[in-house]
Amino acid sequence: MSLVIDNISFSYGDRDILRNFTLQIPTGKTTAVVGPSGSGKSTLLRVIAGLLTPTAGTIILNGQDISCVPTHLRSVGMIFQDNQLFPHLNVYDNVAFGLRMAKADKRVIAERCQELLNLVGLTEAAKQSVTTLSGGEAKRVALARALAPSPQVLLLDEPLTGLDKELHDRLAQDLQRILHATSTTALLVTHLMPEAEVISDAIHHLNDGGRSPQVGASH
Amino acid sequence: MVSHSSSVTARNIRLLATPATILVLVTAIIPLVVLSSTVVRSSDVISIWQNSAVQNALVFSIWQALLSTIFTILIGLIATWYLTRYQFRGRQALIALITVSFVLPTVAVGASFIAVLPTWLHHSTFAIVLAHIFFNISIVVRTVGPRWNSLQEDLVHCAHTLGASSLQTWRHVILPLGKSAIYSSAALTFFMCFTSYGIITILGGPGLATLDIEIYRRAVQLGDLSGATVLAVAQMLFITIAFLIWSRSRSVELTKFRVVAVSQRKLSVAPRFFVGALTVLFLAPLSALSIASFRTGRSWSLSGWKVLFGMQNQRGLELDIWQALQTSGKYALIASCIALPTGIAATYAFSKNGSTNSRWSSLAILPLSISPVVVGLAILVTYDFAPFEFRSSWFLIPVVHAAIAMPFVVRAALPVVQGIPPELRSAAATLGASPWRRFCLVEIPLLRPAITTGIAFSMAISLGEFGATSFLTRRESQTLPIIIANLFGKAGAIPRASGMAASLLLVIVTGIIVLSVDRKPQV
Repeated sequence: MSLVIDNISFSYGDRDILRNFTLQIPTGKTTAVVGPSGSGKSTLLRVIAGLLTPTAGTIILNGQDISCVPTHLRSVGMIFQDNQLFPHLNVYDNVAFGLRMAKADKRVIAERCQELLNLVGLTEAAKQSVTTLSGGEAKRVALARALAPSPQVLLLDEPLTGLDKELHDRLAQDLQRILHATSTTALLVTHLMPEAEVISDAIHHLNDGGRSPQVGASH
Repeated sequence: MVSHSSSVTARNIRLLATPATILVLVTAIIPLVVLSSTVVRSSDVISIWQNSAVQNALVFSIWQALLSTIFTILIGLIATWYLTRYQFRGRQALIALITVSFVLPTVAVGASFIAVLPTWLHHSTFAIVLAHIFFNISIVVRTVGPRWNSLQEDLVHCAHTLGASSLQTWRHVILPLGKSAIYSSAALTFFMCFTSYGIITILGGPGLATLDIEIYRRAVQLGDLSGATVLAVAQMLFITIAFLIWSRSRSVELTKFRVVAVSQRKLSVAPRFFVGALTVLFLAPLSALSIASFRTGRSWSLSGWKVLFGMQNQRGLELDIWQALQTSGKYALIASCIALPTGIAATYAFSKNGSTNSRWSSLAILPLSISPVVVGLAILVTYDFAPFEFRSSWFLIPVVHAAIAMPFVVRAALPVVQGIPPELRSAAATLGASPWRRFCLVEIPLLRPAITTGIAFSMAISLGEFGATSFLTRRESQTLPIIIANLFGKAGAIPRASGMAASLLLVIVTGIIVLSVDRKPQV
């Protein structure tokens, strides 16, 4: 198993958001966690990314306990609901950001960015400001940026929220294709079952902070 | 956001900008043109720079301004980050202290640092830089704060998930996103420190004079009006160039920022220490000022206050504090009565389709970009010829104060005016309201917070203004800051205690005025 979430609990003050939540995600596969708003889906991703500290439980990534590892050293990529592209950087520099943080060689950065911009179909937009992108293009840049440093696991927080139906369906297909082509281990959280069915290999239902887990398969 | 109805035509814009234009013409442009073209002996244009006192003043002006700017920006940026991103006890009080510090009279700030620092540091570059940090940190917090306030927490999180450490996130995300605001606040801080006059009058000393001090010394003490004018014009040119560069980035800053509520975290140990030290920097000088006003030499005494209020006679100290309070209050009232309507009308002229009309806004901010000392000298020279022999007229002082305060009124009103949805005006019009009734019934109530802030800031600025007033004041109509500077210019423990008491009085009056209208200042 690539990512093991073992008995994770998280609470805000007296309110339990996650209670003894357990999940195993196989290497190279995409697992979806589906649940209604407020069920703790986004909290789960933030705990895995190290942005929130769990009150109990451990997170094991490729056999290593990463529960106490700071976010920037976890090798966990994340796509945020509203993309969070850096507005002061162009498309290319956004995609190159993670590689630059890892102090990768300039040639390696150029090759990897080219490869990913090809993959998401945005080669022509490399020098464009991210503030001028359409919703779909911004989503593709966010995906390319998250994949660029080759994270061991990719977390997707409601990645297709706010797009119109046609664009949503097309991007869901693209996302599935890209994640499959890159053999990325991914965890997707969404409140839309059809979206989970298109993108993921396995579906996990999350209701009320993980007290009633059910597992299903989509592919 | 479109904030202006189509009824605001080019003609209306000119009409609205007229009072501000007249004010700036009368108090700044005409006097500066007259100053530049008269009283200068051509030999002085070159020879003045060979004078060692002038050379020292120039070098010291630049050196202390650079040092003050670097430290103000460094400390200000850290303070801004904690104030905008963290929740901690005393946060609101610290914001209030920082807000008030910027409008405190400069001579009173100087006096506070005399009170808090040991004697061997009284007339030192260290004291001057520290006082400049105290005075100008508000510029950084107020300029960079809105930028960082609107920075979403997830953008920082995103950088972390891409492998950026905290330091890398600062370098590659947080600082670049605040870049224009940081440059802008650095430029304004440099300008304020370069033209610092009140603080240097109190904390300066031999070898610690700025160009403004040298201009005053030449014009008033040496009677060398020609030399003083050469220095004033040179300083004005230098600042105008710097201002032009600054206003380019400033036009971006005047637009509104979308403030996003961030999940505010608690401070850990090191930040707590920083916030504590910052609170001490702001509280200690003011506390020491209070204590020093009750001490003469090494003993506790009420002599300082008694002499100040005429209850105790002191040879060589004939003070009329009631007269000064009355004069200061009268000038502050008149200045705010001129600055407020002029500033609000100008704000309407500057707001064009939700953005800022840069031509007019540069005009309104112009008084901010000229040293008050130069304005004082220019007015003294200009209004000395018939039929404009106004130099001894008292009304010149509040008019100059109004011109200095007007940019602050515009700054307070601009976001409010631009934030009024045009649909509101349209809705009132469809309900039968005439343009005048729309203004009175819809816009004025919405403008109320900006009006009260404008009044408070104009009054505070007038109460503390020292640079221009020191040239224009008359013995029978001295303001409180002039009395304070005179007291600190006299030797002895009692004049010093009286100076501290007068400074404390001015700080209290200014603080009450500012905080009574801006009860919960925001970053």
